[in-house]
Amino acid sequence: MPALAQVLAENTREGALWEPIDQKRIRCFACGHRCPIFEGQPGVCKVRFNSGGKLYVPWGYASGVQCDPIEKKPFFHVRPGSLALSFGMLGCDLHCSYCQNWVTSQALRDSRAVSSIQTVTPEELVRTALDLGAEAVVSTYNEPLITAEWAVEIFRHAREASLLTGFVSNGNATPEVLEFLRPWCDLYKADLKSFQDRRYRELGGRLQPILDSLRRIHAMGFWLEVVTLVVPGFNDSDEELRDIAGFLAGISPDVPWHVTAYHRNYKMLDSRDTKPADLLRAVEAGRRAGLRYVYAGNLPGAVGGLEDTRCPGCGETLIRRHGFRVLDYRLTSEGRCPKCSAAIPGRWAEHPRRQTAHQPFRPVLSN
Amino acid sequence: MAYVIVDTCTKDELCVEACPVDCIHPKKDEAGFEELKQLMIDPEACIDCGACVPVCPTNSIYTLDELPAESQHFAASNAAYYGK
Repeated sequence: MPALAQVLAENTREGALWEPIDQKRIRCFACGHRCPIFEGQPGVCKVRFNSGGKLYVPWGYASGVQCDPIEKKPFFHVRPGSLALSFGMLGCDLHCSYCQNWVTSQALRDSRAVSSIQTVTPEELVRTALDLGAEAVVSTYNEPLITAEWAVEIFRHAREASLLTGFVSNGNATPEVLEFLRPWCDLYKADLKSFQDRRYRELGGRLQPILDSLRRIHAMGFWLEVVTLVVPGFNDSDEELRDIAGFLAGISPDVPWHVTAYHRNYKMLDSRDTKPADLLRAVEAGRRAGLRYVYAGNLPGAVGGLEDTRCPGCGETLIRRHGFRVLDYRLTSEGRCPKCSAAIPGRWAEHPRRQTAHQPFRPVLSN
Repeated sequence: MAYVIVDTCTKDELCVEACPVDCIHPKKDEAGFEELKQLMIDPEACIDCGACVPVCPTNSIYTLDELPAESQHFAASNAAYYGK
């Protein structure tokens, strides 16, 4: 069987997100690293490479296709209860020691991460989404920015079928990739993993490109939800949670902030698992900063009503959740509170359907 | 963790040209380039991406973990250059 790197090298085409630097180097701007790449070398992500002075990028495959409740992305303000046909690729521009998806994200960097790919077409993915009644097609599991060209190709087809499209990303973007995506991508989940540059460098990135990207994603009109995986001892000091929340509230108090529980994984085995009390502290930080929609995630049923959406106007519970399960949905068809008529920001369905699956499942691809 | 440059470095600056975060100094136009025998990696700025390794023609760049026993002291000298 050919090595994974060989298989990937064959499933490529010339990319759109690059420019020449000089005789021997080109610059990729798919992610915030803006890698200068020498002839014959890949970028930091290991999947975009310089061959003959051109940048080649992944094309024509997926490492996994799964149908997820949209709550799993997580998007809490987008068609609650709907299905998101989710496709992953391989590789990442970061190397977080606590990655929960490391088998796909570190497939090109860590020999223990054994992954494979399947060739797919945009038509197959979109037909599958429609056959299953999914309302969104989402690039997720690994870092989608590094395969942005392929995602846009799939999103073009999804848009033609009136599906929503989304990125589940670490947020290490560039103005160029966001401009490239925006005409075809509606939804953007981004992480804010820390508010310290030192911490981001440990994960393989820098803080500033993330902050710039979050502001830009919101300003450009993507529907933005932000996730902070709360890792005890890494990013959970009161000061850091306050700084993260304050930054997000500065973008908009309407940006949903998901503070989610970490469990020991991959290489980070020294931190303890996140407890409900840690998440409550983060939620408090969010509320004090003025954020209106703060959710505690990954500990279903253990965080009181902190999985629910409440009206910031009158306090009415609008959406009740348990994990990925939507227990109650009370928004009006215009996305308003039924009690006080306050408009709740999001991408709501005019005619919401009953949730058909509250657990992920692997679909058979439609021909 | 960071990468470390050892004294087989020839200061050709190919690593500087491959680094996405500009954490390798001194560069030709910076103070200390002539006097210093090798380039140094700032251990706190390095994002551990490894882009410098394959472009180095003299194999002078190692991860901290793979640094040969006789070259261990270069971890400290790289850091010391940046006052760390």
